[in-house]
Amino acid sequence: MISLPPNERDLHAYVDHQLSDADRRVLETWLASHPDEAALVRAWQQDAQQLRAALSGALQQPANPALDPALIRQRRQRQSRRHLASAALLLIAVSIGGFSGWQAREMTLVRASVLPMTDALQAYRLIAQQGLLPADYQVDNDGDMQRWLDRYFTQASRLPDLTAAGFEPVSGRLLSTDEGPAAMVMYEDRSGHKVSFYVRPPGPKNTFLPRGRRSDGDLQAEYWSGDGYNYAMVSPTDLPAAQLLKPLQPF
Amino acid sequence: MAPSIACDEHLDMNVLDEQLRELIPRLRRFAVSLTRNSSSADDLVQASLERALSNWGEKRADGDLRAWLFAILYRQFLDAHRRSRRYARMLEFFTGRDDTEPSVERTVIAQSTLQAFDRLPTEQRALLLMVSVEGLSYKEVAEILGTPLGTVMSRLSRARQALRQLSDGEISSPSLRILK
Repeated sequence: MISLPPNERDLHAYVDHQLSDADRRVLETWLASHPDEAALVRAWQQDAQQLRAALSGALQQPANPALDPALIRQRRQRQSRRHLASAALLLIAVSIGGFSGWQAREMTLVRASVLPMTDALQAYRLIAQQGLLPADYQVDNDGDMQRWLDRYFTQASRLPDLTAAGFEPVSGRLLSTDEGPAAMVMYEDRSGHKVSFYVRPPGPKNTFLPRGRRSDGDLQAEYWSGDGYNYAMVSPTDLPAAQLLKPLQPF
Repeated sequence: MAPSIACDEHLDMNVLDEQLRELIPRLRRFAVSLTRNSSSADDLVQASLERALSNWGEKRADGDLRAWLFAILYRQFLDAHRRSRRYARMLEFFTGRDDTEPSVERTVIAQSTLQAFDRLPTEQRALLLMVSVEGLSYKEVAEILGTPLGTVMSRLSRARQALRQLSDGEISSPSLRILK
C-alpha cells in the first residue's frame, strides 16, 4: 500500500499503470483534492500519450527482409565463422557522417586472416563491388592522390602508375583493420573497371610478405612488402587488362 | 510439460521465429530511437537477432522475450557506440579533424513531443520508450539497463522532467546538454 502523501515514485507508477488497483484508487482520490500534483500527473500522461502516438508510425516501417529470423538463422549457419565477428564488432556510426552502421560493421570484418592480405580483398569487395563506404578523398587534379596518401603513409612506396593500362587513381579511403590503419586507393579505367592499391602496416606481429599472388573467387591479389608496409593490388580475375597491369607494377 | 525432443526442434524453431517476427517492428523502433538513423537501426536489430539466436540457451524460460531482446539490443548499441567513438578518434587522428558532431547545447525550442524526445540524451530516450511506449515494468527496465530499480526511478523522473520542459518550449537547462 502506498502512504499519503504519495512520493514522486508513486506518481510515476500511477502514470505508468504500475500500481495495484487498490493503490490506484487511493491515489486517484488523493489527486482529486490536490490540483497541482494532479496537473503534473496529467501533463506526464499527456506526454506519454503523445509519445506513443508519435512513435506508433515507427512500427509501420516496410519490412526489411534482411531481418527475418529464418534468414538470419540460415546465414548464421552458412557463416558461423563470420557471425561472431559481425555481432561482436558491430560499429554503429551514429556520429560519423556518411557511414551507415552496416557499412561500418562490414568494415570491421576487414580483418587479416591466415591468407595474406585478405583484408585488401575484402576491402575491394566492399568498396569496388558492393559500392559501400563513400570515398574519404576524391581526385580532382593530377598528383593529388599521392599527396593524400603521403599524409597518412609517409614512407610508403609511390602509387603505381597504371596509365599505360588506362587506369587512373580516382578515390581513396581509410580503413581500420586488425593490423592497423590501412589506405586503399581505387583506380578506374574508362569502362569503369576497378583496381585497388592497398597499403597498411605489417601488423603487431610484423608480418612481412614475400612477393606473391593469389586468387580468391573472382578476385586476384598481388602482394608484397617494402618500406615498412605491406601492399596489395587487387583486381578482378576477368579484367581484360589484368595481364597488362602485371608488368607495369614497379615493385 | 514434456521436454522437447529432436523431432520437435524444427517446429520449436518455427514458433520462435514467429515470435521474433512479431517483435521486430518494436525492436526496429527501439533501435531507431537509439541510433536516430534507420539504416544503423536495422543493423543493430540484425546484430541483436543474431546475438539472440546464438545465445538462445541463456534466455530464462520464464523471462519475457521482448524484455530479453531489448536488453540485448541495448547492450549491442552501447558496445557499438563505444566502438564508433574509438573509430571516430582514429579518423580524427588520421584527418586531423573531429568527425563526431561536437556536443551542442540544445537550445532550440521544441515544437512537438517527438522533437522534444529526439533531443533527449540516449539513455532518457531509451527509458521513456521502454516505460511510456512499450509499457515495460520498472523491474524489466532495470534489468535491461543493468541498473538498480531506484536508479531507474530517478532517471525516469529526470527524463520526464526533461521531456516536459522541452515540450513546453522551455530553453533546455545545461543539465540537458547531450553528453557524448
